Amino acid sequence: MRRAALCAVLLLATARAASSESVLRFSDQTHTSGITSVYAGDYEFTVGGGASSFDCNGDGFSELFLAGGENRATLYQNRSAQGGDLAFTAIPSGLELTRVLGGYPLDINADGTMDVVLLRSGENVVMKGLGNCRFARANEEWGFAGGNAWSTAFAATWEKGANWPTIAIGNYVDRFEEISPWGSCTANWLHRPNGAETRFASPLALTPSFCPLSIIFTDWSRRGTPDLRVSNDRQYYEGGQEQMWRMESGHPPQLYADKDGWRYVRIWGMGITSYDINFDQYPEYFLTSMADNRLQALAAVPQEGQPKPAYKDIAYPLGLTAHRPFMGEDLRPSTAWHSQFEDVNNDGRVDLFIAKGNVAEMPDFAQKDPNNLLVQGPDGKFIEVADKAGVASTNTARGGLLADLNLDGKLDLVVVNRWVGAEIWKNESEGLGRFLQLRLRQDGPNRDAIGAWIEVKRADGKIMRRELYSGAGHVSGALDWWHFGVGELQQAEVRVLWPGGETGPWETLDTNAFYVLERGKPAHHWIPAPSP
Amino acid sequence: MRLSRRTFGAGIAAFTVALASVPSHGAEAPHVLRRWYTLILELVRQTPTYSPPVAARAFAYLGITTFEAVASGSQTLQSLAGQVKGLANLPQRKPGVAYDEAVIVHAAMAFASQTYFGNTGPSGQRAMKALEKKLHKEAAAGLAAGVWEESAAYGKSVGEHIFAWSKGDGGAVVENLGFPAEWKLTPGPAHWVPTSTIALQQAPLLPAWGNNQPIAMPEAGACPLPPPPDYSEDKESEFHRQALQVVDAVKNLTQEHKAIARFWSDDPMLSPTPPGHWMWIAMQIFEKENTDLEKSVEVLARLGIAINDGFIACWRTKVEFDLLRPVTYIKRVIDKAWEPLLITPPFPEYPSGHSTQSGAAATVLAKDFGDPFAFTDATHVRDGLAPRSFKSFWEAAEEAAVSRLYGGIHFRAAIDRGLEQGKCVGTFVNMLKTRKA
Repeated sequence: MRRAALCAVLLLATARAASSESVLRFSDQTHTSGITSVYAGDYEFTVGGGASSFDCNGDGFSELFLAGGENRATLYQNRSAQGGDLAFTAIPSGLELTRVLGGYPLDINADGTMDVVLLRSGENVVMKGLGNCRFARANEEWGFAGGNAWSTAFAATWEKGANWPTIAIGNYVDRFEEISPWGSCTANWLHRPNGAETRFASPLALTPSFCPLSIIFTDWSRRGTPDLRVSNDRQYYEGGQEQMWRMESGHPPQLYADKDGWRYVRIWGMGITSYDINFDQYPEYFLTSMADNRLQALAAVPQEGQPKPAYKDIAYPLGLTAHRPFMGEDLRPSTAWHSQFEDVNNDGRVDLFIAKGNVAEMPDFAQKDPNNLLVQGPDGKFIEVADKAGVASTNTARGGLLADLNLDGKLDLVVVNRWVGAEIWKNESEGLGRFLQLRLRQDGPNRDAIGAWIEVKRADGKIMRRELYSGAGHVSGALDWWHFGVGELQQAEVRVLWPGGETGPWETLDTNAFYVLERGKPAHHWIPAPSP
Repeated sequence: MRLSRRTFGAGIAAFTVALASVPSHGAEAPHVLRRWYTLILELVRQTPTYSPPVAARAFAYLGITTFEAVASGSQTLQSLAGQVKGLANLPQRKPGVAYDEAVIVHAAMAFASQTYFGNTGPSGQRAMKALEKKLHKEAAAGLAAGVWEESAAYGKSVGEHIFAWSKGDGGAVVENLGFPAEWKLTPGPAHWVPTSTIALQQAPLLPAWGNNQPIAMPEAGACPLPPPPDYSEDKESEFHRQALQVVDAVKNLTQEHKAIARFWSDDPMLSPTPPGHWMWIAMQIFEKENTDLEKSVEVLARLGIAINDGFIACWRTKVEFDLLRPVTYIKRVIDKAWEPLLITPPFPEYPSGHSTQSGAAATVLAKDFGDPFAFTDATHVRDGLAPRSFKSFWEAAEEAAVSRLYGGIHFRAAIDRGLEQGKCVGTFVNMLKTRKA
């Protein structure tokens, strides 16, 4: 009776959502897309199952890399036509390793060809891009110590003055400890450049380590230097909490503590995504977990000076707790993994995707746990539209991505599930707002300008801003077009705050278009090659 | 220990069979018991439904399971059958059959663990399987033919019997992590309102728990409390005075006060919970005192019953008065910006659950080990909290109780009355007869 009443409430909520859902409509193209990847495996693959997208053949379309767990990972070449159905072909690339939880694209050696870092249960491997979507192991060439851990989180940055990236790897529990795994979190690693050489030094242990499932280099205070935010799974740590390391080039990282204003939070941290959703110039952080999810905003934004690292949870008033399924009969608490802020309806307000799925067969949590697509309304609150939009899969999801896979300016969706095949949806919505899709380029190291901020002015004068990070999510990440919805704007003002502090000029760009923004140069309008 | 038991098993097996009605009392049984309890305490921490009341219930039935399994072969332990409501017709050992105590304990605990913690996550499931396999191998080594099978079957049968009995107490099914899907708040400023923005916690935890059937208490309301001070926003009122006391306590926290608050915080999912904390105290004493099997199972059963009944009594009173938390009153009346040191738990305030169950635990442990009984508690050392030493169990209970004032989550009345309620519950437990005359 009580459950029936709750269902009715939820249906009413959904009905309200439907009235304002715009025209979002996705079509499931899993069975026609050529994507057949399955993330398989037992205990060591309870977590992971990542997706990544990047362009490795220079045509502007993003390839997809999907982890396979005990199966081999797969790189899918994008053969979609602009605006057409999603079409991929698995290609031999060198990335077909087993025991892969996920891979992140990163142009490590700044040669303009994307490299990939593979996180594994076992040795991590950096794969050097050879061009035309071929890759080769480069651990030895680049001095990368792959270790033998259960690696579950990744983030990368270029520290000040460095000509080689710094990579942080989050490691999970000691997978060999069967009877008492709790408290056996293994050390996270910080792979910094070896001086001025173009190779990595021996990794630094980031201890204490508390079993992270997501990490991000982020300039949370806007001081110009990203720090390392770590979201930890409380299932396994003892004495742990969420963490943030203060990063200074040339110095050991220092944990933020009570004396710095850091407020402890302890959750089943499973994924981070970030965006300045309240226009206060500082990023907010969405942290996925079990049951309630968190959206952290600075507890206080100072008039002058830098803020303290104290956050308040604003998920509840904004409708973002996503703590239980919003549809169906199974109303037990949810389990959330990958999440991502993007503007799926191009109205100039970012929306949120959350991948959901039971850890395994935990009976206290929903077994049929639909993914969320939460659309932001004009009042800043979010409403659920996943069912109406056609993406409310109840498979056991883990990683995923929102990305424009057919370059029509509308974000498509790919989700990696545990035990069953990955799923992919084409965004076929009509009547959406206009968009801008941008790529950044700069000479020297860090060609893709990781750590930059892009700002775009909305029609109401508010400035949308996003930090360009490499990492985070749930073992999933993209390095391709950065997407902005701009509503009805025919032209939009855009500028870039480049890594190192240089602020580029405002440029007025025609919307519904793609641009390459190269440091020190005017925006270059990019047009996809016509389909053959 | 391994060698002595193997010698026992191999060399004296024929003698044991000849004296089939004489229990073997293997030297490793206390070790087996402690290994399982160590895992159980981890599972309590790691299993999301295991809020303190739920944990207390599991400890009660686990304790009774091993107690009855051992008592059936003991010359000195007195079964609880007939003493507590509904517990009767327990499986008996077969005359003329040899049993091994370690195997009985192992089989009973293996069954009970999987039964009460079948909802734990994959790491817990993996751990239970691994421990069962390891202890099976250890316990089976050197046993005479047939002893393993008979002992394991008997231990499991006791576990099954207790489990079947436990299902009727009202606490067997916990949905939505213990939070009702719908809840109507009691009107009026005196009553509980949610204290966080966690969506799941907009209803109180387990509001019907006080209707559960207790084990030692004759009924859930057997240890009632007087009402808390009348709600008032008058600055001269007792209620306001107690609120100011919370404000002052949090404002003037010393490092020692903070250490006490953190030590007894015992948050679900981040610790073995308050009931598990007292179980750890017992386990540490077992280790230090090299407590034998019979005494161990007796203590675990009595302590489990005490904390189980303590939470039933406490939750019944909480719902009866449905009092608001200090953070709600203080923000409303005294200081909008005030924050407690600890996270306020999501249920009504009066009385303090930790106080009630600590009072109950201290009352039974004092009977088990004597009063005063000095001990050092290192429950949280792996979480980075230093051990604390106490001259008596009651001193520890009082510190656990006052920790809630330092933490800013309870008024003084809830602390003092909670301890009194716990003492009442413990007295009922102490009336149970666990030793033959």
